[in-house]
Amino acid sequence: MKHTLLILGATVIPLAVPMAWAEPPTKEAQLPDRQTQLPSSPKLEDQHYLSPRPLNTIPQGAFGDKVRLGYQLFVNSQQLRDKYVGNELNCVNCHMDAGRKPNASPFWGAFFAYPAYRKKNDKVNSFEERIQGCFTYSMNGKAPPSGNPELVALSAYAYWLGMGGLMDQYGVTGEVPELADAELLQGGKRDDFPVPAAISAALTTEQRANLPGRGYPAIPKPELPYDPARGALVYEAHCQNCHGSDGQGQAMGGVYNLPPLWGPQSFNWGAGMHRVNTAAFFIHENMPLGKSIQVSNQQAWDVAAFITSKERPQDPRFEGNLEQTKARYHKHDCYYGTTQDDTQLGKDAFPNLPPKP
Amino acid sequence: MKSITVTAAALWLAAAGLGAQAAEMPAMPPQAALCGSCHGPQGQGVEPIAPRLAGLSSEYIQKQIKDFQTGNRQNSSMTPMAMTLQGAELIAQVAVFFAAQEPAPMEVQHRGEQLVFSDNAGQLAFQGDWSRELPACVTCHGPSGIGGGLFPRLAGQQAGYLKSQLQAWQTGSRKGDPDGVMANIAQKLTAAEVDAISHYFATLK
Repeated sequence: MKHTLLILGATVIPLAVPMAWAEPPTKEAQLPDRQTQLPSSPKLEDQHYLSPRPLNTIPQGAFGDKVRLGYQLFVNSQQLRDKYVGNELNCVNCHMDAGRKPNASPFWGAFFAYPAYRKKNDKVNSFEERIQGCFTYSMNGKAPPSGNPELVALSAYAYWLGMGGLMDQYGVTGEVPELADAELLQGGKRDDFPVPAAISAALTTEQRANLPGRGYPAIPKPELPYDPARGALVYEAHCQNCHGSDGQGQAMGGVYNLPPLWGPQSFNWGAGMHRVNTAAFFIHENMPLGKSIQVSNQQAWDVAAFITSKERPQDPRFEGNLEQTKARYHKHDCYYGTTQDDTQLGKDAFPNLPPKP
Repeated sequence: MKSITVTAAALWLAAAGLGAQAAEMPAMPPQAALCGSCHGPQGQGVEPIAPRLAGLSSEYIQKQIKDFQTGNRQNSSMTPMAMTLQGAELIAQVAVFFAAQEPAPMEVQHRGEQLVFSDNAGQLAFQGDWSRELPACVTCHGPSGIGGGLFPRLAGQQAGYLKSQLQAWQTGSRKGDPDGVMANIAQKLTAAEVDAISHYFATLK
């Protein structure tokens, strides 16, 4: 049924104006590109980063309960398996330290960056919509409906991390002010967003939207063009111990504590991480976990190329035509639609939100 | 002394009983008897002589025997014992036998179930300390440290053994971890944390 709807959607949306989503016929067809390029800036020396409060300071009460649930969903997203999550990943796999760590796409940095206008889908995306995008693409699942408790909880967690950190940084004492669900879902990049005076005096809305440590820091292009074959050697030496020689991660006690990097249980062809540059930035800064060694720029790009040149679940925006999907959504550093090992990637892509076998 | 003998005999009987129940349980290879004399016939561990093998994966046990043989791990008792096991097939037989000896099932705690820990060790185990680039132990060792693949089970392992191993990683007398990942993590732990973490995982059963 879903497939039929998708095909219907494809016939209705005019190709010449792909961003005009006025009254689209289906929910699926109106999936905008919410996984566009992540912001990235080079890492600066002696940079001061926002430091979120410890988890044991989350307040009691209804608001605190939302924050706590947000944390729990963040580190164990598998609670939403087969409902909104279609793979074996957890938010914490890409956002280190439960979204608390700078330069690992911290959740506190994201909260103050939305709502944001996105040229690519010609629309202002709220924080809630950004998280919905994560479910659709990174989690290869289905976006929770607007305003549902999980989206509120995740938004509350992001807000609490960010606001608590800013308050401490600018000498504002007391608990993080509680916010209504609707405010949380909107995100913090609004001129009318309630912020203690000491913080608004120190940082403009725009500065709060670009806190140091947001996203993954950009690294220079490699000296040699990135190459999956060279990346395979990097993978073997530094990655496969945790992620397995087949890239399928490792499960213990029923959960993949070490995440799958490609294949049916990993992020799909619409996720930000399928871009070679995003993966390279992430890897260079955050892998191997615990930083027992530092891979070079070249190694990061090569191994990112290796990982992203493997088949994974289909781009949810796919409407039956690979070339069309490639032309419309994949004009960046990625392997979607290219031929690797005699197979065109995306042709045999794994399905979205598959039921757990 | 007599009671120990009786206990050992009872365990032997229990092992035989288990073997009869589960058809897939491999028979004890003759070489494993030597291991069992220190580690217990079911690899249950005999404190303070030898750590528990039950619950470790065959992959991990094989790697450790080879590490003793190549000098990555050093122990005056284990090095000569490991040398008696020559050849991959023999090593695999012994490893498969002990890996099949499972510890009692336990309630596994997943990340996020608990946010606040009264002890620093629980927090390190489930949340790490990223101000020091210390990931949570459970990231690699699995929920509650139950282990898998090349990552040993920590849950229920003897505290004294865990402590001695963390110290061995710190001093570099234990090696063989790719990229020195475990040495790097161990070196960030204080002596008090090594103590606390060792006791924490030892009590998870």
